[in-house]
Amino acid sequence: MKQPVVNGPAGPARSADSLQSQRLAYGQVPPSPNQSAITSFPRMGATPQTPPPQNPGMQPYSPASRPNPPPQPYMAPMSMAAYSRAPLAPMPPGYPGVGGPPPFGQPPGKERKKRRFPIWARVAVSLFLLLLVVVGGLAGYYYFNLATPVSHIVGQQVTRLKGDEDPNASRNGADILSGPRVNILLLGSDTDQKFANGQYLAQSDIVITIDPATRKVGMLSIPRDFYINLPGGGMHKLDEAYGLGGVALSRLTIFQDFGIPINYYAWVGLDGFIKVIDTVGGVDVDALHPITDDNYPDDVGNKTGDINAYKRLYITPGPQHLSGPEALEYVRSRHADLVGDFGRSARQQQVLSALKTKLNNPAIIGKLPEISNDLNGYVKTDMQLTDVLKLLNFARSLDPNSIQRLILGPPYSASGVTPTGESVVYPDCTKITPLLAQMFGLGNNARCNIQANSNNNTSSLASASQPSATPKAIPAASTWQAASQVADIGAMSIGGSSDNLFGFHSLLDLMFMVVFESPDAMQV
Amino acid sequence: MKSYNTTTIGKSLLLLLLALSVQGCLGIGNNNNSSSNGPVGNTITTNSSGNKVSVAQNLFKGKIYFTIDHNLWVTDGSSASRELIHGGNVYDPAVSPDGKWIAFIASFKDFTNLAAIPAGGGPVHILLSGYGHFYNDTGIIKNTYHWFAQPAWSLDGTHLLFLSDLQKDFVWYTLGGVFKNSPFLDLQVFSIPFNNPSAQPQVIAYASYGDGGDRDPSYRPAHPNQTPEIVYTHYAYDQTGTQQVIQVFLADATAIANHPYTYSPVSDSGVPLTPGSVQNIEPAFSPDGNAIVYVRRDTSNQMSLYVMPVPEGVTADPNSPTAEQKALQPYNKSSHILSGQYVSQPVWSPDGKQIVYISYNNSEFDLWLANISYNAKTSAYSLQGNPIQLTSGGIDGDSRPFWTP
Repeated sequence: MKQPVVNGPAGPARSADSLQSQRLAYGQVPPSPNQSAITSFPRMGATPQTPPPQNPGMQPYSPASRPNPPPQPYMAPMSMAAYSRAPLAPMPPGYPGVGGPPPFGQPPGKERKKRRFPIWARVAVSLFLLLLVVVGGLAGYYYFNLATPVSHIVGQQVTRLKGDEDPNASRNGADILSGPRVNILLLGSDTDQKFANGQYLAQSDIVITIDPATRKVGMLSIPRDFYINLPGGGMHKLDEAYGLGGVALSRLTIFQDFGIPINYYAWVGLDGFIKVIDTVGGVDVDALHPITDDNYPDDVGNKTGDINAYKRLYITPGPQHLSGPEALEYVRSRHADLVGDFGRSARQQQVLSALKTKLNNPAIIGKLPEISNDLNGYVKTDMQLTDVLKLLNFARSLDPNSIQRLILGPPYSASGVTPTGESVVYPDCTKITPLLAQMFGLGNNARCNIQANSNNNTSSLASASQPSATPKAIPAASTWQAASQVADIGAMSIGGSSDNLFGFHSLLDLMFMVVFESPDAMQV
Repeated sequence: MKSYNTTTIGKSLLLLLLALSVQGCLGIGNNNNSSSNGPVGNTITTNSSGNKVSVAQNLFKGKIYFTIDHNLWVTDGSSASRELIHGGNVYDPAVSPDGKWIAFIASFKDFTNLAAIPAGGGPVHILLSGYGHFYNDTGIIKNTYHWFAQPAWSLDGTHLLFLSDLQKDFVWYTLGGVFKNSPFLDLQVFSIPFNNPSAQPQVIAYASYGDGGDRDPSYRPAHPNQTPEIVYTHYAYDQTGTQQVIQVFLADATAIANHPYTYSPVSDSGVPLTPGSVQNIEPAFSPDGNAIVYVRRDTSNQMSLYVMPVPEGVTADPNSPTAEQKALQPYNKSSHILSGQYVSQPVWSPDGKQIVYISYNNSEFDLWLANISYNAKTSAYSLQGNPIQLTSGGIDGDSRPFWTP
C-alpha cells in the first residue's frame, strides 16, 4: 500500500539546498510505530519500495517554475489510537526502519514525498563531509603555517670542518635508535641581541650518548668555562667555540679535545623557551620555597654587553604567575636548593606540568603558528623530525635511574684565573679521560687534548681523522653521579597526550631537554 | 499550533551537530575568562592578561589593599576602588595602625626597596634601599645589593618588621660548615624604627641556611601587656639535608636583642607551632591574637585553609623540649576552613568574622572571602556558607593583601 505523499506546511520559498535535501529523502519509508526510525545505515543503492508518484522527474529546482503549494491547515498530532489504526506499508524482510505513522505534524491523507536517504544518513554524510573539510583544512593549515617553520628547525645540516669525523658515514643509514652508538651534542645559547651578527655563546654543552643495543644512555655536561684548545683558535673557554665557529667548531672541538665523535647536534636558544611560555600566557605554579640566587647568569635580555654578567634572584614562595623570563629563572637557578638538582628537577616538572595543561587545551591549536614561530630560529638540529620523535619517545620510555650522568665539575675540574685575569675552569685530564673512555666506549681513543700547542693542534687533527674504536656498552661507574641527582628526562616531557601537535610537542621536549640541562654546564 | 516535518527536525539536528562540532573545534564554551562568570561588581581596570578586573561590592566592611600587575589598589565595601600607586612594581602593602602610612616593597632588578607613602597620597619615602653593585673579590663575583620583603607594623606603629638578606656577608665562623664559606642569602626577620630607618636593623628571627629563609612575619595583636611575639613561616631542611621542613614559628620578638649570643641560625629563637611532617605556610593572626589562620599544602594539587589556637608561654625558652611539645599541641585543634588547588595569603578582617585569601580558579588568581564563625563551646572555627569571589579577572598571586577597618 502506498503511503500518501504529504506536502510540508506552507512557508517561505525553500532554497536549492533544502529542496535537494528533500529530494534525497525520496524513497524513505515511514518507520513503524514500534521501531525507532533510525536503526541502521541502509544499504547503498537499495531500491525504494515505493517510487515517488507525484515527483517523478528530478527536475532542477527553479523557484520561478515551482509555485508554492497551496496553504494547508496545520494538523494536530495524531493520537496513538489513530497511529494504531493507520494502515502499514508492507515491510520486506530485513529492511530497516520501515512502517509507522506519518511524521509529526504532517496531515494524514495527503500524498507524501519519499526519501532516498533517511535523515540520519544525511547527518552522517554531512558529518563525514565536515570531517573531510576539517582534515583537509588541517592539512592546509599545517602546510601553510607549520611546515615551513618545521623545515627551518629540523634537517639543518652543518658542514663538518676538516678533521671532524662523521660517525654517520659508517652507520649506513641506520635508524637513529638502531645500529652503533649515537652521540648527540646539545648546545644551549642565550639569544638576545647583545652579540652582533648572531654570534652567540653556547653556554650549555651537553653530549648525550645512546647505545641502541643496550638502551644505555649517558649524559655528559661540560662546563661552559672549560679552558681548552679550540682547533685553529688557541685557548678559549668552551662556550666561545660556538661564537667563533658555530656548530661546526663546537662539534670539532668536542671531537678533537675529548675524542667524542658527534652524530647529531641540537641547538636551542633560551629566548625560544621564553617566547613559548609567553605565547601560552605564562604558567601558574606554587613555588615550593623561596628562591635566592646571587649568581644567576644574566644572559637573557642583558643590554650591558657583559656576556659574563650575573643577576640576583628572589622568587617568593607560594602560588603565583610566572612570565616567560620568570619561568626560565625558576627552572634554571641551581643555587636555591641545598639538594641542588633534586630541587631544580622538581621545579622543572612543576613548570612542565603547568605548560602541559596549557598545551593540552584545544584553544592552543590557534596558537600553533605562534609557537612554531617561537621555535623557528631558536631550535635547530640536523636530525629529521622522525628522528626527534623517535628520540623523545625513547627518552620517555627510559628509567631515569638508568641514565648515567657525568658533570665535569669538581673534582674533575677546578676554577682558576688565566694569566690575563680571566676566570676559567681547568679540566683535570687524568680524572676525565678514563671516565670518557667508559661512558662513550672510546677505549684508547678517549683523550683530553686541551692544551694549545703545536703538537696538540696538529696531532689532534690527525688523530681526529682516524676512526673511533668500536662503540661499547656503557659500563656502570661508581664515580659517575647518580641519575637521580639530575632532572628526570622522562618526566621532562610534555608528550604523552594523544596529540603531538604535528610533532611540536617533541620539538618542545627537545628544547626543554636542552634548556633544563643547561645550568649544569654553566654553573658547575 | 506549529507543525514540523521530519526535514525540519533533521535540519535542526544537523545544525545542532554542526554547531557542537564547530564549538568543540574552536574551543567555544570553554570560558576561561572568569570576568564573565565572576561576581557582579565594578570593573576597575584591565590587567596585563587583557582581562577586565572587577570587584564585587557590599560584601565586606573596611578597606582591602592588594596589587594588580604590581600596581597598588584599595577597595572598600561599597564605593569604587582606587589605584594608589601605578608602575611601582609594588608588593605586600601594609597600613600603619593609625592608618596614616602604607608601607610596601618596590621591586627592581637585583634589589628591592622598603618604602612608604602617606595613606592619603603623597611622595614615596624610601626607608631602606637595596641598591648596590657587583664586584670581583679575588675571582669571586660578589655584590652589595639587598632584598627587602613583606613589611609588617608593630602594634604601636613605631617599628616595621621586614624580611631581608642584610646579614648575607656576615660570616658565622663559630658555626662552621657551610656557614664558614658561603654567603647567607636566606632572608631573615628584621626590625627598624619607622621614624629612624637608618638606625641599625635589629634581627628578630634567624633563618635556616640554604632554603630561602623566613616568610610572612607579623606581630601578635591585642596583647599589649605581654612579651611581643611574632609569627612567621620558617623554611629549612631536615638533618639529612634532603627534605624540606616548612613550619609556622612563633617567637619572642625581643629574644635576640635581649639575649645576645644565645640564638643563631642553628639555635633559633622561634618555636614551631606546626609539625615538620606537613608543610604549613603563610600564618596570619586573628584580630584578637588568639588564633592563627594558615595554609596547609595537602598535596601538590591541593591546599587548605586552617585556623588554630595560639599557644601561650612557649616563646620564653623556645629550644626546650617542653616548650616545643607544648607549642605543637594547639595544632591538633586546627579547624579546616576550605580547600582548593591553590589557596594562599589569608588575612583576617578587622572584626574577625571574615578571611580574605587568594584562590586560583579559571587560570586566575583572585581575592575570595570566607565568612567565619567561632564556636566557643568547641573552640572550633568553621566556614559559614560558601566562599564568595571578591575580584574577578585576575590579581597578583604573589603579593600579600592587607585589610583595615
